[in-house]
Amino acid sequence: MRKQTLKRRTFLKTSTLAGAGFAIGFTFDPFVSLATGSGPSVSRTKGEKLGLWVRIASDGTITLIAPSSEMGQGVNTSLSMIIAEELEADWQSIKTETAPAHSDYKNPNNPLQFTGGSSSLRGFWEPLREVGAAAREMLKTAAAQKWDVPVNECEAKSGKILHKKSGREIGYGELAEAAGKLDVPSDPVLKSPEDYELIGKPVTRLDLPAKVTGSAQFGIDVRIPGMLFATVRQSPVFEGEVLSFDETAAKNVRGVVAVVQVSNGIAVVADNTWRAKKGMEALNPQFKDGKTADESSMPGLDSQQVREQFLAALDDEGKGENDAEHAAAGLPFLDLEYEVPFLAHATLEPMNCTAYVRDDFCEVWAPTQNQEMSMDAAKDITDLDEDQIRIHTTLLGGGFGRRLETDYVKQAVTVSKLLEKPVQLTWMREEDIQHDFYRPASMSRFQISLGRDGFPLKWENQLAAPSILKRYFSPLGWFGFDPTSTEGADVLPYAIPDFDFDYSLVDPGVPVGFWRSVGSSHNAFYTESAIDEAAHTAKQDPFEYRRKLLAQKPRFRKVLEKVAADANWGRRIPEGHGLGIALHKSFASIVGAVLEVSANASGNLKMHKVWITIDCGKVVNPDTVRAQMEGGFVFGLSAALGEEITLKNGRVEQSNFHDYTILRMKGVPEISVSIIENRTLDDDQIGGVGEPAVPLAAPVLANAIFAVTGKRYRSLPLSKHGVSLI
Amino acid sequence: MQTLIINGIRHQVDVEDEMPLLWVLRDELGLTGTKFGCGIGQCGACTVQINGQAVRSCSFPVIAAVGAEIKTIEGLYENGYHPVQQAWIEEQVPQCGYCQSGQIMATTALLKNNPESSEEEIEQKMTNLCRCGTYVRVRRGIRRSAELMLEQEG
Repeated sequence: MRKQTLKRRTFLKTSTLAGAGFAIGFTFDPFVSLATGSGPSVSRTKGEKLGLWVRIASDGTITLIAPSSEMGQGVNTSLSMIIAEELEADWQSIKTETAPAHSDYKNPNNPLQFTGGSSSLRGFWEPLREVGAAAREMLKTAAAQKWDVPVNECEAKSGKILHKKSGREIGYGELAEAAGKLDVPSDPVLKSPEDYELIGKPVTRLDLPAKVTGSAQFGIDVRIPGMLFATVRQSPVFEGEVLSFDETAAKNVRGVVAVVQVSNGIAVVADNTWRAKKGMEALNPQFKDGKTADESSMPGLDSQQVREQFLAALDDEGKGENDAEHAAAGLPFLDLEYEVPFLAHATLEPMNCTAYVRDDFCEVWAPTQNQEMSMDAAKDITDLDEDQIRIHTTLLGGGFGRRLETDYVKQAVTVSKLLEKPVQLTWMREEDIQHDFYRPASMSRFQISLGRDGFPLKWENQLAAPSILKRYFSPLGWFGFDPTSTEGADVLPYAIPDFDFDYSLVDPGVPVGFWRSVGSSHNAFYTESAIDEAAHTAKQDPFEYRRKLLAQKPRFRKVLEKVAADANWGRRIPEGHGLGIALHKSFASIVGAVLEVSANASGNLKMHKVWITIDCGKVVNPDTVRAQMEGGFVFGLSAALGEEITLKNGRVEQSNFHDYTILRMKGVPEISVSIIENRTLDDDQIGGVGEPAVPLAAPVLANAIFAVTGKRYRSLPLSKHGVSLI
Repeated sequence: MQTLIINGIRHQVDVEDEMPLLWVLRDELGLTGTKFGCGIGQCGACTVQINGQAVRSCSFPVIAAVGAEIKTIEGLYENGYHPVQQAWIEEQVPQCGYCQSGQIMATTALLKNNPESSEEEIEQKMTNLCRCGTYVRVRRGIRRSAELMLEQEG
């Protein structure tokens, strides 16, 4: 089991644990004022030490410098649980701050310092346990030296070191300074899972008190004395440029102080966000059309054209054929075509960033998932060095992949640099919907030959989709390769003797990005609908059909069986009701779902209940796993039912929540979650939970609708087919 | 100059009469617990109470709030959690938390007007958006809030 983890331990000894030693001392705290974003009071001491994970204050307060962005996934609590477990800390004494941009806080599983890909626990599970264990051993040693007793007579418990023989005890706070002067143990002993007191228990989240009292500070809540407020307007056509604007009219609006051109648009700066918005209306900027607009040589891009590009690519790729022999035998052959639209992230907190650029220092307060690229953006624009820039990650009012981008960070830094004042730049919702990096639209075809037993003999699948990674690494475009497009369709758990998958990279010129669950967000709809169609064609029960195809995949089978058992699959269901089922693996977690729906006479749908089972390997906070299953599923349902971004003449047609329709509470089904835990798995077999429920929603809903109505919907959103909720 | 009574405290502001209350709260008075989400009254992140009724402050001109009792999320906590806040903690409702000020203010108004609101009524009246998809817990939070409020009265 240890082979793979040894490599990571080496990394820890040289970098992280060296930091942990310092962190135990309580003399160090330059980040306190920074991380809270409470003001521009900046410590610029050259001697600032980074790479710190845990700080123990003299009053015993333990602060985790959390390396991940908190965007609702409860990560700060989960990471704190890991530290507290190994450190034997008193849970009530734990606090968190978000780490600055620095390579020491990079997730060992990710290429850059960012939070995404459901990777936080997978990446930090091992390093954080080691940091906690090392700190605990150092505290024990400090106590042993103080009392002049052997270390092995000392025990760590609830934030104290106990010496049972003499009945003495001492709090961590009192030991912190002495402990900080000790050497960091090279190979601290980790607790055995049987001894866990926090990990695996449903712990109350640390961030919720602030979130129910309105005191939680999101990016948009940052307030700096003397701060100005700005808003932007960007070209409605992708990559268009500003052509003209009425600066005088804008400056006549009360409170407007400046008009600043930024990348891809123009900003109005005022003493209040609403006045900046009024100023923008008066400014009335006009834009020169960009590459996707109607130009003399080329018609403007619209959704139909994107679809034609997908179809052309799929036609080029060609379809699998029904073998003559197979056809002659009269065996079933399925020829299927599916499609999904572009989608917006629509985080409820609109894009915003606050920046304060001075001659020799720059501070950025950003609700960002991407500390490293925010740092790079600030460096590029200000020409300052890394040690002259501070990136403060605030709480994020939703991320879902949108905040891996730094477009809004660049704009805020640009404006602040020019005005030499602190500036908070906030997008109106219309900008957010029309200038996203969208979940790629795509189309997918299947040709599936079923054998005499009804199971697939041959499975041929062609996907046409834009590439997300091409923007980051253009050579991928030359090879037509992008795992973030193909994940979830290129490998299936089902036993299929002849399996073929092809990907055609199509680039219609629409900016695309990482959207919660990425490739699986469309591929699970395609593959889990197709396997369901195969089961029904074979006149077999869709649960039994999948189960038989998973004979060699015990982990998958167990999830499927558990979720079917929870839903009491096979029971007599009420007239007009139907059950759908789906199974999908993403981000190293396997999730199964069963949904019960009913349809009334006019075809309107009621979702009664969904059962979800996840096997994510290890479980740190089960209530967080449940919350992410619930939220992820609803996020997927929202898209499946009613979300769609369409294009006309190079422009996004939707602009706000009246036409980009997100699911509200009405109609959301009851959700029951089961967690399959497997603590004996290797450490690297811990799965993510933030994304893996999203992909299940569309296929389980489409499959349930088929079960109850006999109608098979192969394109999303379902609202296009007249499906609506009761 | 306008005089506003917010959470029982009088504030003087000097703004355009048509400025939405949201921006007066956030950018003039620093009461940032009330959130900006859409600007067109669709999402409910900006929900506050005016004379006990839930109002979407992004679309409510400040002049219309003069003389009224304005309550924001910051005014809900009085000598401890309000029952709705307590219920939100017990049920572990929030994820990112951005919509939750609005959800809590809408729930508080709903239950104050009718602590025994039916499920249907709750679904009809609670139209605030939550992009994290916490709706099943918001629903549980509302039920628990109603229990706590009745207990408190009893």
